[in-house]
Amino acid sequence: MKKLIALLLALTMAFALVACGGNGDAGTGGEGGSGDLAGTYKVTIWCPEATVEMTKAQVAAFNSSNTMGITIDATVEPVSEADAATNMIQDVSAGADLFFFAQDQLSRMIQAGAVGKLGTSAAQFARDNNNAASILAAQSGTDLFAYPLTADNGFFMYYDKSVVPDSDVDSLEAIIADCEKANKNFSYELENAWYNAGVFFGTGCHSQWVTDNDGNFISIDDDFNSDKGLIAAKGIYKLVSSPIYVNSSNADFASGSAVVVTGTWNYATIKSQLGDNFGVADLPSFEVDGQSYHLGSYSGCKLLGVKPQSDAKKNAAINQLAQYLTGKDCQLQRAWDPVEGKTPNGQAENGGFGWGPSNKEALQDPIVTNNPALIALNAQNEYAVPQPNIHGSWWDIAKVITTDIKASDGSDAALKAALQKYADSIQAVFEISDEVKNAFTVIGSINGDSWSLDLPMTQDGDIWTSNEAYTMDVGVEFKCRQGMSWDVAYPADNFVVETAGTYKIQLNAATGEVTLIPA
Amino acid sequence: MSKNENTSKRHMGIKAANRLSNGAIYVLLILISVIWLIPFVFIVLQSFRVESTYQVGYVVPHQWGLQNYINLWNSDFKRWYLNTFIIALASAVLVTIIQLCMSYTLSRFRFKMRGPLMRFMLILGMFPGMLTMIILYRVLSDLGLTQANAVPGLILVGFASSGMGYYVSKGFFDTISRSLDEAARVDGATRLQVLYKIILPLAKPIVIYTILTAFMGPWGDYVFARYVAFGTSAGYNVAVGMYSWLTNDQINRMYTTFCAGGVIVAVPVTILFLCLQKYYVEGVTGGAVKG
Repeated sequence: MKKLIALLLALTMAFALVACGGNGDAGTGGEGGSGDLAGTYKVTIWCPEATVEMTKAQVAAFNSSNTMGITIDATVEPVSEADAATNMIQDVSAGADLFFFAQDQLSRMIQAGAVGKLGTSAAQFARDNNNAASILAAQSGTDLFAYPLTADNGFFMYYDKSVVPDSDVDSLEAIIADCEKANKNFSYELENAWYNAGVFFGTGCHSQWVTDNDGNFISIDDDFNSDKGLIAAKGIYKLVSSPIYVNSSNADFASGSAVVVTGTWNYATIKSQLGDNFGVADLPSFEVDGQSYHLGSYSGCKLLGVKPQSDAKKNAAINQLAQYLTGKDCQLQRAWDPVEGKTPNGQAENGGFGWGPSNKEALQDPIVTNNPALIALNAQNEYAVPQPNIHGSWWDIAKVITTDIKASDGSDAALKAALQKYADSIQAVFEISDEVKNAFTVIGSINGDSWSLDLPMTQDGDIWTSNEAYTMDVGVEFKCRQGMSWDVAYPADNFVVETAGTYKIQLNAATGEVTLIPA
Repeated sequence: MSKNENTSKRHMGIKAANRLSNGAIYVLLILISVIWLIPFVFIVLQSFRVESTYQVGYVVPHQWGLQNYINLWNSDFKRWYLNTFIIALASAVLVTIIQLCMSYTLSRFRFKMRGPLMRFMLILGMFPGMLTMIILYRVLSDLGLTQANAVPGLILVGFASSGMGYYVSKGFFDTISRSLDEAARVDGATRLQVLYKIILPLAKPIVIYTILTAFMGPWGDYVFARYVAFGTSAGYNVAVGMYSWLTNDQINRMYTTFCAGGVIVAVPVTILFLCLQKYYVEGVTGGAVKG
């Protein structure tokens, strides 16, 4: 037995060594060629399964067309853009170098260090070529962190023309009546915050999270719990209280639905399900107290993230690749109508996906302007709110609004209660304890820090003293602030150290006087 | 119900009463088994549907065919299936060997710290394995056993702590009389010979039970497999790979293929269970008689 165990252990160790050996860092290949980026680079790319073959072809095209001598040795793995953040955050070092992801993951990506600030010229490239909404999606604070890939992450309405006549598509009430008459369902995933927030935007509400340049959430500006919000709640109640309402955004036409609110990703399937009865339009309006409100939506983007590299040359090379993959030609290849169109090289089986581009030039191309789903998306975009960075917890908080409305009796009081519950929940996200709110901390350029770290202080009456002594050079600046915010901070101008030494920092909170105590 | 039946019911004998209650029980059981079987029948039927690949509102396909199984053969599924099979088989072998040796030792040997050791393992075993997920990932990652090398990594995860699952088989071994061991020892058998010549043949149900459970764990594993193989198709097992077909952009294209995959995954487990069912039940109950 002992021998067997020893053998097993030895094998395990031997295997580990072999595996480590194969896992060495990507080499940068031979020097020479034209320009300083010339060389071969090993790059891992994560993209949705359907796009794997196209991405491989696009990388090959980049290799043969770029004039910098860059050769990309790409491993393309199918990872859905919805899962990219979960996978990257698990282990950034083992994650992909380039990855498709949905914009709502941007903050998490930044905080995990899975994406870095784009360089000046890269950011300029992205800003010059892409529309404003997609740039907004790729930025946190004022910096860009990823390349826009599409600007089509929105939803609109597909309908069965044999049930809903074209004359009715502008009115939610008429559509509900048509569906009820034909005993067909209305699929609208209102128990999902991404969809139900659109109803609130339609009545003029807003909900905006504020982020800083590090991807942190600072506050929220939200008025769902208001008179306008109540109108939206009434609109939601109209649909969810009907027996034909189905909480789904799947291609449900084969399972009893006559209307489905969903996005471009279901276009090809729905087209094949409905055939000649295929109809697509922007969302309808609903009526409350004689006034009409057009249903709103979120318009979002998919982004291409670039993992920060320790090798500056590789970093530059994969940024070149990223710019190629998000450029006009590649975006158009993905935009190609998956039903009607053929790819630019004429092969139907290798067709596009109908992804709406973010590239300004590509948006004017007939491939985009003739695609019925993208036409509907663009019509809906007039009523859409660009999706900003959203705190991860918001999705679960906001979806409950619909669940509560559905369970209620539809009275004003019940709807208001649902909205109040929502408002209380989002405020709780930022609630900090009184102890933290009242405590003073030191922040500044101490220890080479760039005003990002709050150093703790201990209270004795009005006198606050830093817990530790710090070695400070001449010119080091800092402030003492309360509750980790800038509402109360001393001294008014930054404290500047005039004599180098090791000091504890002391604050008199009553007078605002800051002194250094040599340690 | 006619009047006649009412009169006969009043004079119903024990036999008739039994038949009636049995009938009611059978009806109930049939009803439950139908409910229980519907999803399986549904998946099998959907896997033969070829007129479309998305979810539909009917069960019986309009057009039958094998296209979904052909798609499966042409996808990464082969690789995933092989991965899963290797992991499950290797775990089954290693776990069985380690666990049975452990149980035999704890059942037959008397050594210092035996009691504390058993209690210690019992307590350690109470912590959910998921708690160790992140640290295990780091260890495996340092060994280079993640992503594309996930298969050996997951085998390691599968059998590494298997000795702690000794309770059931130790319980069973305790029921086998020690005088058999002693007789064999007197005749010159070594400890190892006692184990595989005397104990194991008598403990066949528990051996089979151990093999089955050791095989089933990795076969259906999702959480660890996803965490270790993340983002690398070559290291996926079937659960992780097939789950990746259920995303928004995949499901309309892959739904029926997914059903076909589900059927294929169920096949070996079903065969295994049908063949070994008799022993399995004995194993589960046998070990529980005496602690």
